[in-house]
Amino acid sequence: MRCRPRALTFLVAACAAALLSGCAQPADEEPIKPLPPTEGRVDPGLGPEARPLSSGPGYKGSPSWSPGGERVAFIVDGYVEDRTVDGERLTRWTTKDFAAAEAEWTADGALTVLGGAGAVEGRPGAVYRTDPEDAGSLGVEEISEGVLAMAPGPEREDVVLAIEAGGEESAISLLRDGRMERVYTGTVPGTVTGACASPDGHSVALAVRAPGDDSPGELRVFDLQSGEGRKLFDLDEDRGILGAPQWTDHGIYFVAGMVSPPEDEGEPLYDLYRAAPEPGRPEQAPGVGEDFVAGGISVSPDGDRLAVVGRLNPKSPLNLYVLDLKTGTLDAVTTNEDMEIKTGPDDLAWSPAGTSVAIVARSASAGEPEVHAAPADELLDAFYNLYEVPIMNSTPPETSP
Amino acid sequence: MRETALWATAAALAFLVTAGAFLVLANLATGSLADDLPAAPARGKSGPALDLDLNRSRLASLQPEADQELLLTVENAGNSDFSNVNLTLESSPGDTADPRTRYYRRTLQNLRSGESVEVSFLLDLHRPARTPDAPPAPDKRTEILEIRATTPEGVSVVRTAILPL
Repeated sequence: MRCRPRALTFLVAACAAALLSGCAQPADEEPIKPLPPTEGRVDPGLGPEARPLSSGPGYKGSPSWSPGGERVAFIVDGYVEDRTVDGERLTRWTTKDFAAAEAEWTADGALTVLGGAGAVEGRPGAVYRTDPEDAGSLGVEEISEGVLAMAPGPEREDVVLAIEAGGEESAISLLRDGRMERVYTGTVPGTVTGACASPDGHSVALAVRAPGDDSPGELRVFDLQSGEGRKLFDLDEDRGILGAPQWTDHGIYFVAGMVSPPEDEGEPLYDLYRAAPEPGRPEQAPGVGEDFVAGGISVSPDGDRLAVVGRLNPKSPLNLYVLDLKTGTLDAVTTNEDMEIKTGPDDLAWSPAGTSVAIVARSASAGEPEVHAAPADELLDAFYNLYEVPIMNSTPPETSP
Repeated sequence: MRETALWATAAALAFLVTAGAFLVLANLATGSLADDLPAAPARGKSGPALDLDLNRSRLASLQPEADQELLLTVENAGNSDFSNVNLTLESSPGDTADPRTRYYRRTLQNLRSGESVEVSFLLDLHRPARTPDAPPAPDKRTEILEIRATTPEGVSVVRTAILPL
């Protein structure tokens, strides 16, 4: 066989040209191809069973399920809305300039809302209550001002409030049916930044910023029957508790880390801890692994599972996990690669039956203009929206006959 | 020696041919995916009779200031002419608590089948703080442009552009 150098050269050049054309980037001047309408489709990373609970623009957060599980309330750009899970009805509960920070549904069908300009700026806000008989009126009743944190009780009949008491102290009070049921005379030294009722409703765990400290590094327990509190531990300097602790039958879980990390260290890394409700040092929560980076956490209604938004390690994607507190098993509920799941301490919520978790997510933004072939109100992953993610292998709690 | 060179050349050629074939196949696959995701079809009509194209670099160049020119191309991709095409553009902040939505309108006349027309909108994207004590928006500022084209014949198309500003 004879080799033909010219033919060979031509072939090599042709293949190289094909390679180069395949690697070339499209011209920047091209019109942007619109992304297709979502039509209820959810990013596969959130799971095929995930379904949207909201749509359209708006910075959403603080989901809270109604006691029957048929509605979900949430905050959008500072105002409060709720939507039926079938998407049939949307109700706005406050004016758009309300500056709400947190909304919790109570057993009587009303929403307790912590808000006001003060709450947004890190100062105490006020607590308001909506009128469940007058949906859509945008009228709310102010219950108390100077509120640092609030936590619904186990059956959502009570709401525990931590209130500014002056002199760097906090007071605890109990709200029932929109009225102050009890105001405790014993105070908590420091500023309460997060609260969670115990499973039996007799006590409340408090994240506290001690007088003179910059970050909430103390965990305290306040007995709602005796009105007395005690300190469980202090975290190391510069470390603080993120959001509210979660009190379970298996201990008090909380997320903590350096509150103000140096800017060059990038995203702050928070760890998940467990503490006994008695004075003593906390331990890293068993089951999640040493490298786990935790964001928001929420205990299930049965008290045996903890929903955690986090990363298996600092370089892995954000996902929703469920930690079985009895076995210490961590299960990934989502296998997300492309969505930004909100990691705020109040950005996830269990359904009352414990069969699904509401999270807030959007597609990762490249910081460039996007064009979609649908009206803005119908878009899902272009904006932060709420999704109901079913928790597989979960059994609803047994109902008493 | 010559045989070794021949073998080496043949091996390189085989690699290039295979790699080229894979790249061509990959490009074909990408093309077919794009074909699977057409623009929203016009309501009541089969196929995208009316289309709106937004220019990538023009969108990226918009600033949060007054007098920003947005160019878009309206195309009649159907088989019949349109006597009028009404264009409405709704410009609203990504912060839905901010009620300051701005509306713009244009009308095109006699858009013939197969014809494309470039349309310009002069937008005011300047948004000063609503009130001195308004709480800061927690998310990055975006502007949402919702553009609708409708015809008296009942054909319509909508595009939503999300601009990080």
